[in-house]
Amino acid sequence: MAKDMTLLWVTGSPPCWRVMIALEEKNLQGYNQKLLSFDKMEHKSQQVLDINPRGQIPTFKHGDNVINESYAACFYLESQFKSQGTKLIPDGPAEQALMYQRMFEGLTLYEKLSAVVFYEWSVPEGERHESALKRNKEALVTELKLWEGYLQKLGSGSYLAGPSFTLADVVVFPTVGMVFRFGLSPERYPKLGEYHNLLKERPSVKASWPPHWLENPKGQDTLKDI
Amino acid sequence: MATDITLLWASGSHACWRVMIALEEKNLQGYNQKQLYFEKGEHKSKEVLEINPRGQLPAFKCGDLPLNESCAACFHLECKYKSQGTKLIPDCEEGRALILQRVFEVNALAEKSSSVLYYNWRVPEGERHDSAVKRNKEALTAELKLWEGYLQASSGFIVGKNFSLADVIVYPAVAYLFQNGLSEQRYPKLAEYYKGLMNRPSIKASWPPTWKNAPKQETLKDI
Repeated sequence: MAKDMTLLWVTGSPPCWRVMIALEEKNLQGYNQKLLSFDKMEHKSQQVLDINPRGQIPTFKHGDNVINESYAACFYLESQFKSQGTKLIPDGPAEQALMYQRMFEGLTLYEKLSAVVFYEWSVPEGERHESALKRNKEALVTELKLWEGYLQKLGSGSYLAGPSFTLADVVVFPTVGMVFRFGLSPERYPKLGEYHNLLKERPSVKASWPPHWLENPKGQDTLKDI
Repeated sequence: MATDITLLWASGSHACWRVMIALEEKNLQGYNQKQLYFEKGEHKSKEVLEINPRGQLPAFKCGDLPLNESCAACFHLECKYKSQGTKLIPDCEEGRALILQRVFEVNALAEKSSSVLYYNWRVPEGERHDSAVKRNKEALTAELKLWEGYLQASSGFIVGKNFSLADVIVYPAVAYLFQNGLSEQRYPKLAEYYKGLMNRPSIKASWPPTWKNAPKQETLKDI
């Protein structure tokens, strides 16, 4: 059970946060966990490399099963613990198909967000260009408008795949959380803002909220003008 | 029913190919399909945009339900048609965990391949750097070594002794590399995997038609 599980994570990382939300939703509190520090390069430490040769977090183990891809871990937890906690994959075919579709589009959203907020971290100084960052911001705006449209179509109070909270919310909400942490304007993106307010009160989300965001409630303003 | 299924696809797109392999494996031959051409801008045509507002391929519908993300389509097909065709996600815990792991690791492989193969397409001339090209090649080499390692003890499949969802998702990405000149000598396990599944009915039936008579590219021969 939870005692056979180990998660190595860092605060504020959407991939880690996804797994933590899934664990909470499946009533698997009490799993072994260790908070690592990105700044101290602990994601490249031996204890991580032993579980994940890629030296990336999250690293997740359940008994002998090692699953380091956050989406894989979320799918795994839902299928292993189907009968406990929240049902994360709905039975209705339309809702289920929409859930899968939004989950995988969520990867695109995260990629486009990362291309802006992690630009300086992933591109060496000599290779950076204002034109590239501008282009990345424009791509992010196009992407955010798509999601704004998706939520608009579903109506207020809705989750990403319809009336129920599903795996789509587990994997995509952390990215939305990060988008607002980096200063996105809820006035300019009201539907995303509403979705963010709805989810941030959910117990599993509250329980796994990045600790350093609690310590420093004011985030960054990288995205305030987009 | 296959006749409720529609796929708009382009030859050589590994995302499209995955969905086609999954459809074959689930015995859904006879689905409605149309081959489109990126070079003619057909991925931005009205018929695509009606199914996929992103103007990307594959554009895929199962009944009324759009599933344009290739992995979403594959997961959905396996779920909906669980009891027919090949079982792509096994019931046993261990097999399932590793299959899920490899399915999602393909993103890294696909991303690193694209950074090398599409560098000039993605990066405008004024922003290109030799240092970036070099770094992308090194990242791809490291990634390929990882997959070579995963296949060391392989029985011909990415995971375990049976064809699974991991192969549906991974095979097109691997085939793409060899089509672009990856060295079979330097990556013998990947080459063995690639050749071993070439004649699997679902893969043969969906092999990109534009590859059949085209010469192989050489872009990756020095990786």
